[in-house]
Amino acid sequence: MIEIASIVLLCMGAFFYFSGTVGLLRFPDVYSRLHALAKADNLGLGCIVLGLALQAESLAVALKLLLIWPLALAASAGISYAIARRADALGIRPWRREDT
Amino acid sequence: MTAALLRRGILFALLWWILSEGRAGSWGLGAIAVAVALWASVRLLLPASGRISVAGLFAFMGYFIWNSVRGGAQVALIALRGRQALQPDMLEMQLSLRSGAARILMVNALGLMPGSLGVRLEGDRLRLHVLDARMPIAVAVRALEARIEVIFREQP
Amino acid sequence: MTGIEFPLALFLLVNLIVALLAAARGPTAADRMLVALLFGSTGVGILVLLAHAGAGHELVDVALVLALLAAITGVAFAGRAWHAGEKKPHD
Repeated sequence: MIEIASIVLLCMGAFFYFSGTVGLLRFPDVYSRLHALAKADNLGLGCIVLGLALQAESLAVALKLLLIWPLALAASAGISYAIARRADALGIRPWRREDT
Repeated sequence: MTAALLRRGILFALLWWILSEGRAGSWGLGAIAVAVALWASVRLLLPASGRISVAGLFAFMGYFIWNSVRGGAQVALIALRGRQALQPDMLEMQLSLRSGAARILMVNALGLMPGSLGVRLEGDRLRLHVLDARMPIAVAVRALEARIEVIFREQP
Repeated sequence: MTGIEFPLALFLLVNLIVALLAAARGPTAADRMLVALLFGSTGVGILVLLAHAGAGHELVDVALVLALLAAITGVAFAGRAWHAGEKKPHD
């Protein structure tokens, strides 16, 4: 039962990573690519560590895996704002619907 | 002061227990690590300044993590539907947060909330990019701001 | 270990390579900075999956340290924004 839940979570994680990459390839400018990569990849990582934590042999091992996620969230938040700010400072204008 | 030290000591010991995967033989080294961490934490951040609400911080973390999950699921669906699902725009908003730390937390946290991305912060002017201008982003920004006000005790 | 960890790790590796190539091609300098985001999330995901695919639990420690370094990078960027942002936003 736990194994099935773990497999489902791991596959969901892989799906979110995949959609992050799809967003990176499909979205028209750096700002929207940032949305896709930061948000979708983090959810992917969250699903993966949760799925693996379910299989852990002890509580401490499970918590260690789960500890990775908030660190990655903080990293993505800080780095994506830094990139967005840099893009804005470089004068990169966001893509708008009427441009096409 | 002693209560704050005790709280931190327990937190660091818990962290060591997690990092050592609960191995009983590691506590000799663990005691040293907890002591050093406690010393560093007192040097860098004096306890009992009372400026930050711990309950507010935990409430914010719960809210932040839940909304980052929502944001990830939402952007995944938009990515699979492709470019035609996008209607990006730049918004300018006025922040009412007073302290610098609160504003920095705000503009960084926005990047993981559904549909929003902090782009620039100048004084209390916030510029953010939104994936879909039809989403009620302004309401969400105000809700996040209210949560951060609670952490930094900045109730208007 | 359920047996799908290793295939999933390979799948994420393919994702990482495609994303790295796409990000490195640009078109703008800001796009190339997206590479920094990929290691903190995809790289860490691959490491924890490999750790559970039989490569040894030490890889979880490696993943944790990588995530920690990425978090410090993120916080350092945020701190720089604080000091530089208010006076000269065009750094």
